[in-house]
Order: sequence, then C-alpha cells, then structure tokens
Amino acid sequence: MADAQALVAGLPEERLQEWVLEQRWFASKAREVAHFGVLEAVTLREEAPKLVLALIEARFHTGTHELYQLPLGLRADDEAWDQRVIAEVEGWTVYDALADPAQNHELLARIGASEEVQGEHGVLHFRASEQAAARFDRTAAVRPIGVEQSNSSVVFGDQLILKVFRRLEPGVNPELELLRFLSAREFPHIAPLVGWYAYTGRLMDTTLGTLQVFLSGARDGWALCLDDLEGFLPEARALGVVTGELHTALGSDVGDPDFAPEEPSMENLSLLTATVDEEIERMFVDLDTESPALAPLAGHAQDVRERLQALSHIGTGGRLIRTHGDYHLGQTMLTDRGWVVLDFEGEPARPLPERRRKRSPLRDVAGMLRSFAYAASAAEQQRGEPAPEGWEDHARSAFLEGYFEAVDASLLPPGQDAVSKLLSVFELEKAVYELRYELNHRPDWIGIPVAGIVRLLEDA
Amino acid sequence: MSDPGHWFEAEPLWFKTSVFYEIHIRGFFDANGDGSGDFRGLTEKLDYLQWLGVDCIWLLPFYRSPLRDGGYDIADYFQIHPDYGVVEDVRDFIEQAHQRGIRVIADLVMNHTSSEHPWFQESRSAPDHPKRDWYVWSDTVHRYEDARIIFVDTETSNWTWDDQAGAYYWHRFFGHQPDLNFDNPEVQAAMLDVLRFWLDLGLDGVRLDAVPYLFEREGTICENLPETHAYLKRVRAEIDANYPDRLLLAEANQWPADVVDYYGDGDECQMCFHFPVMPRMFMSLRREEAKPMYEILAQTPEIPSNCQWGLFLRNHDELTLEMVTDEERDYMYSEYAKDPRMKLNVGIRRRLAPLLDNGRDEVELMHAILFSLPGSPVLYYGDEIAMGDNVYLGDRDGVRTPMQWTGDRNGGFSRADFAQLYAPPLMDPVYGYQAVNVEAQLRTPTSLLRWLRRFISLRKEHPVFGFGTFEPLEPSNPRIFAHVRRYEDDVMLCVHNLARSAQAVELDLTAFEGRHPEEIFGRSRFPAIGEWPYLLTLAPRGFYWFQLVEDEADDDG
Repeated sequence: MADAQALVAGLPEERLQEWVLEQRWFASKAREVAHFGVLEAVTLREEAPKLVLALIEARFHTGTHELYQLPLGLRADDEAWDQRVIAEVEGWTVYDALADPAQNHELLARIGASEEVQGEHGVLHFRASEQAAARFDRTAAVRPIGVEQSNSSVVFGDQLILKVFRRLEPGVNPELELLRFLSAREFPHIAPLVGWYAYTGRLMDTTLGTLQVFLSGARDGWALCLDDLEGFLPEARALGVVTGELHTALGSDVGDPDFAPEEPSMENLSLLTATVDEEIERMFVDLDTESPALAPLAGHAQDVRERLQALSHIGTGGRLIRTHGDYHLGQTMLTDRGWVVLDFEGEPARPLPERRRKRSPLRDVAGMLRSFAYAASAAEQQRGEPAPEGWEDHARSAFLEGYFEAVDASLLPPGQDAVSKLLSVFELEKAVYELRYELNHRPDWIGIPVAGIVRLLEDA
Repeated sequence: MSDPGHWFEAEPLWFKTSVFYEIHIRGFFDANGDGSGDFRGLTEKLDYLQWLGVDCIWLLPFYRSPLRDGGYDIADYFQIHPDYGVVEDVRDFIEQAHQRGIRVIADLVMNHTSSEHPWFQESRSAPDHPKRDWYVWSDTVHRYEDARIIFVDTETSNWTWDDQAGAYYWHRFFGHQPDLNFDNPEVQAAMLDVLRFWLDLGLDGVRLDAVPYLFEREGTICENLPETHAYLKRVRAEIDANYPDRLLLAEANQWPADVVDYYGDGDECQMCFHFPVMPRMFMSLRREEAKPMYEILAQTPEIPSNCQWGLFLRNHDELTLEMVTDEERDYMYSEYAKDPRMKLNVGIRRRLAPLLDNGRDEVELMHAILFSLPGSPVLYYGDEIAMGDNVYLGDRDGVRTPMQWTGDRNGGFSRADFAQLYAPPLMDPVYGYQAVNVEAQLRTPTSLLRWLRRFISLRKEHPVFGFGTFEPLEPSNPRIFAHVRRYEDDVMLCVHNLARSAQAVELDLTAFEGRHPEEIFGRSRFPAIGEWPYLLTLAPRGFYWFQLVEDEADDDG
C-alpha cells in the first residue's frame, strides 16, 4: 500500500496551486505566485482514510514566500469522496481533511491524548488541558463553521470548537498565548481553552490550532446589535465592564514577562503618532476626491494631520499591556452568563511580532467604538432600519462608563483629558485603516470611516 | 534560553535581505543613569529600531575590557563590561529583540586580547607556563619582518618587549593587544568555546574583527594566510553543524579580490564588508561622476550564492582610505578632511552628515545608492537623524558621541549629571541635540528619519535588492549612475544623478521593451519602454527607482 507521505509528496503542483488559490485564507493574489511546494508532511494515520498534516509554501515572483497549514485526507478512489477534493494521486483522492468528520475526530483524538508525532524535520505537539478529557466525545456530530481570513473552524457536537490556523508565522500565536493566560487565571468571559497543537522544528516553531469550549446558544455581538439597536444599549454598559475586566486581567501579572505591564518608552507616543501620520498621508495620496462619498474629506489632509498632532500632545500614554488586538462587536458573544470575548489572534494582516506587541488598552476600546459606528450604518444598509437619533453616542457613553468603572485605572494615561485624546488618536488610526480597506474592498461602506474622521475633526 | 529558532522561520540566507544597524552600546541609551549606555537602555529602544525597520543589530564589543581600544581589547570573553550590565541583561536584550523580529550579532575579536587578559598574564609569567604558547613570543624582533604596521600613528613595531616574560610579543594592533597564537590547538579550541557561549545565549552571529591576521608565517606579509582560511572553515563547520541560521561576518579591509577568499566556496564567512566601494561613493559624489563606482564594482568578483557583501556609508571607525590609490587619497583628504584634526591613521574620522555638508539631497542620494547596490546595507547609529561629530575628541570617539533622543538635558541620552557622561553630547547649533534629535524628527513628516523609514520599508518589499543581479548600464552621460537589478520576475532600474545640476540621460533599455517603468515611491507609471533609447531627466542629486512592470502581469489582478 502506498505510503501517505509519498502520496502527498507526489501531489501535482498545479492542482495544489489551483486549489489553494481559491481559498479565502490564501492571503496573496494569484498572479504573484511563482511556485507551490510541500515542505513538511507528517503522517497522523497511515491506515485508510489516511491523514497527513502538510505545511506548504507559496513562493512569489519577487522572491518572498508564505507558509500555510493543510491537513490532508486520503481515501481510495473507489470511495468516490467528493468533498473539497484537491487531486487524485495514484488511486487515492487527496482532499481537505477538515471537510471530513472522521478526520476531524482523528485530530481531536490526538489532542485528547496529548500525543507527539515525529515528522521529517520537526515534531507535532498535541496538548489537552487537564480538565479537558471529559469533554471529548468520539461520536459528536461535526460541522465546519464560517470561513475566516486566516483560519478554518470546526465544531464538535456543539461542545468544542477547533480553530485551525492556515497562514503560519514563526512564534506562538497570540490566540494561544492569551487564552492560556486568561484560562489559567480563570477569567470568566472567554470560551475556555481545552487544548491546542503546534509544530516545532527546523522550519519554524508555530501554533497550528486551538481547541475551545463551544458556546452554544450564544449570540454574536454584531448580529445581535444589528437586529436590535435599541435592545443593545442596555447591554453596552455590560460589554464595557467585561472589556475593562479583560484589560485588568491582562495587566495583572507583573511576574510574567510576556504579560507584565510596561511603562512606555519616552518616544512611544511619538512613534505611534508618526506611524498614524504616515498612514494618513498614504491614504490621502490614494484618495480620489472626485467621489461624492469622499467629498467631506477633500482638501482636509492637513487638517487631519494637524488634529493628530494636537491629540498627541499628552504627557504620557499610560501603561502598555497585551491587548485583544482586533476588538469589535464581531469578536464578542452574549451568553446566558453575560458577554464573552473571542478571537485573540490580533489583526491577521499584520505580522506576528506586531500582533504580540504590548499597547495601550485604549486601542481595543477605540476598536469597539468604531464598531458601534459601523453597526449604526450597517443596520440601515443591511436591515433597512436607520439607527435612532443619537444611538451611536448613547452606545459609546454606556460602553465607556462600564469600561472606566471596571478597568485598572493605572493602565490608562493620567487624567480624563489625556484618556480622551489618546482614545481619539486610536480612533483616527482605526478609521484611516478602515477607509483604506473599504476603498479597496467595499466602496459602499466608505461613508462610515469618512464620517468617523470628520467626527474627530469636529471634536477639535 | 533565547533560541532564535523560536521566533524566526528557518532561513539560512536571512542576512541577504536584511538592513543592519550598528550600535555603540556606550552611546545609545543609559537606563541606570550612570552616564554610560547599557543593555537595559538598548532593550528600551528596541521599539524605536523595530519602527525604523531594522532587521539585525550589530553591537560593538561589550566584553570585560580596560577600554584602551573601545573594547576591542578584551580582558574576559565570558563577562561583559560592568558599565553595560550583566550577561543576564544581554540574554534579555536578545530575547526581546527576537520577539520583535530583530536579530542580533556582535563583534568578536579573535586575533588578540587585552594585555590584561588572564591568559596573557599567565603566558608572560614563566617560560614553562602551560599558557606560554598561547601568545606569540620571540627573542628577536627580526621575525615576520614583511608584516606592515597598521596603526602607523601610534606604533613603531609589531613586536613589544615584555620585561616580565623576558621576551618580545607579537601584536598587529596596539602594544597592549598581544596576538593570540592560533598555531596552538588549545587557542583554536578556546575561541570555539567563546563562540559557542555567545551563540548558546542566543546571538545570531558574530562580526569577526581583524580576521586576516590570525596566523603568522615567515616570508609572508602575515595576512590572509591559508591557515587562517582553514581555521575559519572549521568555525563555519561548527556553525553549520550546531547553529543553523547564524552569521559569520568578516572584517577584512582588503581589496575585493582578496576579500572574496573569506567566502571560501560558500564554506567560510557568509558576509564580508566591501571596504573599497565606500570611499568611491564619496569620490563619485564630489567629482560628480559615476566612474569610480563603476570601476570598483567591475573589479569586484562574483561571490558564492549563499554569501553577501556588507555595505555601509559610515561606521564606528574612520572612513578608511587604505583601499584607494595615493592620488585618490589626497583627493579625499582635500575634499573631505580640510581640518587636519579630521584625519586619523589612513582615513577620515567624521560622520555622514558633516562629510556631506549636511546636505539633505546628498544624504538621500547616498542612501539610495547604498540601498541599490548588491549587498546588505549597514546603517550607523545616529546617521538616520544626521547626527554630527566632534573632531576635538581623541581617536575615533568623535563619531561615537551619545545618541540624540530629545532636545532635553543630555539629549535624552542619560539622566546622569553632564560631567558624568562618558562623552559630551553634541551641542553646537547645527548638529547639537537641540536641533537634531529623534523626538523632533518623529514629529516632522518631512524629516530624514521619517524618509529613511519609508525607504527601508520600500527596499524590504523587494528581495531583488538582496538577491538580484547587478547589471551596470553606464550611459553616455558620465554623471549618471544607473543599473538594473534582476531577481526571478522582479526587475528594478535604479538611476542616480551625481551632479549638482539637473541632468538628462538616455538609457539603453531595449532588453526590456514593452515594459512600463513604475516609480516605486509614488507608484507613478512612466511611458512604456520602446525600441529607442529611454530618456529621463533628473533633478540635481536626484534619483529614481523604477520597477519594470510587464503589462500582462498588470491586467489580471
């Protein structure tokens, strides 16, 4: 019988390339790719259906490259497997293993058993937390859920959710880092970490996936808000409290160097301001001010940059801690025990060292405030219901009230004036980032960041 | 254990696309307020270096030392100088750098130690001491007479008499720096132990100082000997076997044809500095002609594909003029060292900005040329904000003054009393810290610092600058330095105007007919290349970098 590893090594490059290019998690453009190849293939099961965990490389014309994780299932041709098929190789159908319940259970079993599997160039480590064993149910129904930019997730019997990171970078993924930290401190507002798996080897050390308790019956914060803007307002304060408690927890351990709060260096604020200023400049260079949606910004490049300078005149930016990193309504869920925060990966488009960086917690707060602005507009665009007059302001103030009540004030800059200024800097940064994104991807949404930037100008 | 493997992808060629940044620890940032920079201070500034886009920090020697030669006189290879902290601080610094995606290499002096090193103290103590043979002793000065004297300003012989030993000892540099005897297997082994110690601590490589002088042989100039290369191959074998992705960078101030021997067949040092190209860049700029650069690059042999040149505009030493002709040297002195105090040994001890009369266009043009050449650029701390120098300080200390962080007291370098500082920060009206500092330049969108950051990030988007070919165009206008870099499908055209006046140039780009030049700073598209010479006009000291884009690649995205 054919050896699974050899079969994967024999995958025709064109088929692999064709398939990967179609995936949402593939970060680059098709025309940039020069070559695809399998760098490591670790066999997890040699008996049919075979399971191989492959690390693949995409090389680009400019000489750069990216690495991706590809769990591959292999079934004999005569089984006629037809889900997410990549190629036929020597009588075997090679396919995305995450589409196959049996293969997902195989992965889960490895985590449950805390196994280690040796590959050619490195080792796969599977780990389950101590209380986890009870949760593993070999018969649970398996269903894949929403495809994300950087990962694929699978739910087991509404009890566990396995998140498989697709794009790989060296170093520990902040999702694993933060979930471990918060789980160990019994922070109640997360879905507890049950296990994970990682790769250590010559290629790199990298986190491959996390396994968490699945929150059944929970409602996604974004959908909930859009469905009922008025009904969200009473929950906004509670969300602020949970956010404050999250930051307090993340800044609570001075003994752990990866989490200990830090005093910002003296140029920290200048570095932040300079970075945001460059982004503003780049944005205005790209701006087609003929478009009516952009009209409110036309000719205001200098005003925006001056506003940024004025906002940055605060003595100190407060302490720096590990943060959520990509905080918005879509990263929260309302459960019967209150708000829960999800997805600690950080912004997937940014490199890992940047996502792991300690920052002011106010950056997360700004992310959520911008999310309220989006919700108000999206309710109108997607549900046909305009937000009630003053809704965004109400949501903001309720959220902030809860936040300031719960957060450890020593993490913030001293004085309300400095806090609001720094918060505005982060809101501006976020809105500029949004505008560049919408210009490229969703022109109908341009009005939202434009209004956000105008709002910050008017506050002056 | 700060294993670099934990934070980096396996990439034995990482150095080929890296931007290096050279730091004098004493002068960078003082965290404990004692007047001298230290490792904790350096760690505090990592966010700044990450922001700037630095890939690899190169540290000047930080070992225990009497500091009679800026730390290149090592008295204990396993301890650091107390002013800089403790070994634990180094470990922490390296780990913090790695977490930010920044690698760290450090100077290692193999050739000699300080005369205060216990090895030398033991060696000189008695003729039958087991360490006697760790250094090079002689009863006469009439050995190795063909070896030149390097520090001509201070030394008269490579031999110095030692009363205690009753013999002469060999030294290629200062008299207080006796050369180790690499013919002794124990010395060879000891130096490998030193290397392992620092690599185990997490260091990503070493810059091998004074590497041509390890061995001595009668009847030779005692430089670049086969024995030296054999030993370096042994060092590299140790690295390849046990420390993947670590770098050996050789300091061999020699002609390119000799330097390339230090690459071996890709089995010695991965990087060597290209010394002779640097004075020719300054010469080209002053003469407003590209010829000196084209010439030296034409004389530069091919190197193995797993190797790379290290390129720099300025560093911690004098701008060395050993690798130029006498006539060229006179020219350089007359143009760049009008005050005799600016000369040192065979070179000019000044920083980049003063050498270029603080001309912003010139500083930008020189960086553009540096970044366009085949090699990895090495920036020198402070040059990114156009810091000046102090020619009234002795030796090379004038280019090693405190980093200017802010306009506050001591330039934000230290909270110590002014009198306590290891050297005074610059305070003159043009280059002083009140005029030139990081804080002010961060706030000024048009500052050199902000420009350089954009430039670094742009260069890093294109591995062609690290991996690509170098194809000189040598247009008929002698004032234009133009060349093409090619790697895989990326083609870059770099055109630099060395003149103080605007220039027009016709380039033969027929090989790229049909492609569109796209200027890479502003992404403006220029007219397509046809069968005729391509005409460009350049501002005084101006430059363009174009990506030559194929049209079909443009349409399907």
